[in-house]
Amino acid sequence: MKKTRKPQLAVIGAGPAGLGAALAASGAGLRDVMLIERDFELGGILPQCIHDGFGSIVFKEVMTGPEYAQRFVEEIRRTDVEIMLNTMVLDMGPDMRITAVNDREGIVEIEPESIVLAMGCRERTRHQVMLPGFRPAGVITAGAAQRDINIEGLMPGRKIVILGSGDIGLIMARRFTLEGARVEGVYELMDHPGGITRNVVQCLRDFEIPLHLSHTVSFIHGRKRVEAVTVAEVDADLKPRKETERFVPCDTLCLSVGLIPENELSKHAGIQLDPVTAGPFVDERMETTVDGIFACGNVVNVFDLVDYVTHSAQVAGRGAAEYVLQGRKRQSPVKVVAGRNVKYVVPQFVSDLNRDVDFYFRVEHPERAVTARILADGKPLAGKKHKMVRPPEMLKQTTEALDVSTGEKTRELTVEVIPGGE
Amino acid sequence: MANKHDFVCINCPMSCSLELTEENGEILEVTGNDCKIGKRYAEEEFKDPRRVVTTTVSVRSGSLPMLPVRSAEAIPKRLITDAVKSLEGIVVDAPVKLDQVVLEDVAGTGVNIIASRDLASASIQPNT
Amino acid sequence: MTPAGLPESAQVVVIGAGVSGCSIARELTKYTPDIVIIDRESDVADATTKANNAEVHSGIGEKIGTLKAKLNVRGNALYDDFVSGLGVDFRRQGLLIVITPRTLPEEVAARMPRSVHDFVLKQVMPRLIMLNARRKGIPGLRMVSRAEVYRMEPHVTRSAVAGVFDPTYGMVAPYKLTIALAEHSVMNGARVFLNTEVSGVNVKDGRVLGVTTNRGDIRAPIVVNAAGVFADEVADMAGAGGFRIHPRKGASLLFDREETREYVHSSVSEFRVRGKTKAHSKGGGAMPTLEGNLQLGPTAIETDDKFDTSISAEEIQEIFDRFYYLLPDFPRSAMISAFSGIRAPTEEEDFIIGPSEAARGFVNVAGIQSPGLASAPAIVEMVMVFLHDLGVPRQPRSDFDPVRPAPPRFAELSNEERDRLIAGDPRYGHVICRCEQVTEAEVVNAAHGIIPATTMDGVKRRTRTGMGRCQGGFCGYRVAQILAREMGVPVTDMTKDGDGSWVFTTGKKTIAV
Repeated sequence: MKKTRKPQLAVIGAGPAGLGAALAASGAGLRDVMLIERDFELGGILPQCIHDGFGSIVFKEVMTGPEYAQRFVEEIRRTDVEIMLNTMVLDMGPDMRITAVNDREGIVEIEPESIVLAMGCRERTRHQVMLPGFRPAGVITAGAAQRDINIEGLMPGRKIVILGSGDIGLIMARRFTLEGARVEGVYELMDHPGGITRNVVQCLRDFEIPLHLSHTVSFIHGRKRVEAVTVAEVDADLKPRKETERFVPCDTLCLSVGLIPENELSKHAGIQLDPVTAGPFVDERMETTVDGIFACGNVVNVFDLVDYVTHSAQVAGRGAAEYVLQGRKRQSPVKVVAGRNVKYVVPQFVSDLNRDVDFYFRVEHPERAVTARILADGKPLAGKKHKMVRPPEMLKQTTEALDVSTGEKTRELTVEVIPGGE
Repeated sequence: MANKHDFVCINCPMSCSLELTEENGEILEVTGNDCKIGKRYAEEEFKDPRRVVTTTVSVRSGSLPMLPVRSAEAIPKRLITDAVKSLEGIVVDAPVKLDQVVLEDVAGTGVNIIASRDLASASIQPNT
Repeated sequence: MTPAGLPESAQVVVIGAGVSGCSIARELTKYTPDIVIIDRESDVADATTKANNAEVHSGIGEKIGTLKAKLNVRGNALYDDFVSGLGVDFRRQGLLIVITPRTLPEEVAARMPRSVHDFVLKQVMPRLIMLNARRKGIPGLRMVSRAEVYRMEPHVTRSAVAGVFDPTYGMVAPYKLTIALAEHSVMNGARVFLNTEVSGVNVKDGRVLGVTTNRGDIRAPIVVNAAGVFADEVADMAGAGGFRIHPRKGASLLFDREETREYVHSSVSEFRVRGKTKAHSKGGGAMPTLEGNLQLGPTAIETDDKFDTSISAEEIQEIFDRFYYLLPDFPRSAMISAFSGIRAPTEEEDFIIGPSEAARGFVNVAGIQSPGLASAPAIVEMVMVFLHDLGVPRQPRSDFDPVRPAPPRFAELSNEERDRLIAGDPRYGHVICRCEQVTEAEVVNAAHGIIPATTMDGVKRRTRTGMGRCQGGFCGYRVAQILAREMGVPVTDMTKDGDGSWVFTTGKKTIAV
């Protein structure tokens, strides 16, 4: 009978979130931290993100994904964090019991004192956005194509149509082009790009790749391999307009149509999920609705910016350490409400109003000259003016020790974006 | 004769549409910018647009078949394609260290192409 | 599994490696090993069978007096024996037939006073279904009250009036069943030739002499035509035709297991009487697959293209609209896949099974559409009578091996069993498909199976790689690399599903080894 492992903390996933959390927990005094990773190396998705643009907040320099990962990998090697590679977590129960497997030890049972969930997110696929047509080879998600090209050295196609202008889609338009494929165009359902302007300019404009806003793919042709797609403009309900349909020959349809937090394990553990973010409800320490289970990074919501993933991971790692070392009990949490032009806010709850809290939130629609502010029972606490806010760019706002300043018990917090700014 | 050039500013979410007017290479005017960063950006994009180039090269006996590489500094935008082409035949031997020079003076820019990660030999676990 | 070249001769050539052809071949090997199965696709079960939606009907939906009805009821009764020893899951989960205010066509309902309509729905319709079942000899049906409908299936519309539960209805994975049947046949001597397309059936003096294919001729005194949507064309080659297959498309939607497990417990379908023809139309159903995913469908759309396995936006919408009524809260956003196949009905809408008068030795097994999967054991029984008459020995072989061992499936094992496997082969400890928890060893097994997987879809059908919520985004390149390694070919040779469906192309960079 194999011995059940009982670390102080088990971190599931060793991408930027898991690495950051394990390091923070170790730094906060946990001696027995286990970092579980299914891949054969650390870094999660970062090793395949070979473009630059990472680290400007955390390291104050612009790095590529592999460089950003390597900083953390080097740091974690200097700690006593136990790294389990090639290890897949198969299940996690409500009792915090983890079942994992690898090819050296077989089934590994783990009963940690605390858990940090750092499984990241997955890509939305063709059927989740209901793309009609045939089911040939050559329909691929952008992240999978990125892995194929950048890590494996495999080209998924030669003549590419990209659906979705999220950052990965834009990055891949440039990548495909530099690798000698021809990108016929990027088609975006919405009337604004899904990714940041820098990527629109440096990945599309630099290479004269057309961006077709308010367009979608309405049919995939080809029985064996993609032979073409039909594209069309969309109406106000985002449905294709038949009369605008065009036939675009290509051998590959690359999809960048959204990311979904990866929360199957969270559900098995009985953690409550926020239907808007598709990630767990968390409080200011990134603790989920189950005591002792924390979550950070893209498993909570899709942050886009790796620097914010790292920040949330550091909060979660420190939170787990505090939970284990001090046996922290949560007070009754205060709800955080998404107010005007705010799609969602993380954290969704605040348990301890006597400390600084980082709020991350996303607007519902672009807006000029606004103030993003946080209110406690209607009273403004902190605010920041923005010339422009757009859904692809996540906003961050920090508040300081709430109840200390008001001297009252706060019942509800609101984050809102209102007109009036610079 | 004056010529006009369009740019989109990438420095903040405003994404200002900029129009630069020049005559014989001499900048006359930048319009559409909301702040001075935008003006400077348009001028740079006109005079000497530069980009950091990132791509991969093949690895021999590595724990992975490809090595991510980057230009150590930004290089002129018009030389991106040349830079990437000049890397096509290159195969580096594992192990590789971060920042190791893969190609010197890429496309005559004076900038080196360097490895953007450590990459172990095939038999060794990559980064533990 | 099979030698490189075609054999010169065989006692029986079965054209078509779908569920019908492989069922017949497997039964034949109980009497003679000299069986050859040929198919134009790159894998068995790779045409209509793979897109079959897995229902083993009881026969309740078939018209009394048809061959379909007879073989369906008989086939269902034989199913447990049919699958035993194959290592394939078959589950009689039952079908809950729900009567709703939409059961009678509007024009009929409109002519009735409300109280009469209520009475008809509540009292008459269930009894009609019961009577219909009794006349066809379908056992076990019982009437279910409105309250019981909700107790059994809480997500069914509150408008439901009554129901009937049909307990012999079951599900089996059609491609797994067919692969198992083909492998069982090969274990017992049969040979399978894929990528082999029939271009002629050789007939002389009213007798079949064999077939001509793209890879050569095979002499055979008996040829079984189980060519699915192409059965009419193959029959014409033998001069044994005279019927037309008109392809009819059927699309189904599949949902994320994590979000839809136990959403329904049995299959559920809304009973609707079609207006003009008065024929009963089950109109598809909502069903829990053997793996626990919710599946909705299928549709029925006439097409003139035997290869048209596309799905239109309208078809998806049609399924949604239909099931919004029956299951108002079904989780639309959890859809992970949609698939479509071509049924092979004849003009008469019935099976055409029997020996040809014009070409002795040629046996048609044509027009096999739904309920073909359920009828398979009975089709076999019927066809064997003809085949024995044509010369297949009547004496069972003493050396027939009744058990086809199924390769282990990691996801379905206990931790103790998993540990034992990993100790013997560490590749069982390497999970490469996270959604379906498929290990490297299982892909290796698929690549070296009795009918080896040679394509990504071949691996998928044998192991479930890429069938989960990420649809292969995570495991795609891993499967391609493992399969290529096991086949000893470059990964750029991999295809999704045979010739032309390439997965990777060579880039500008050499991959150094």
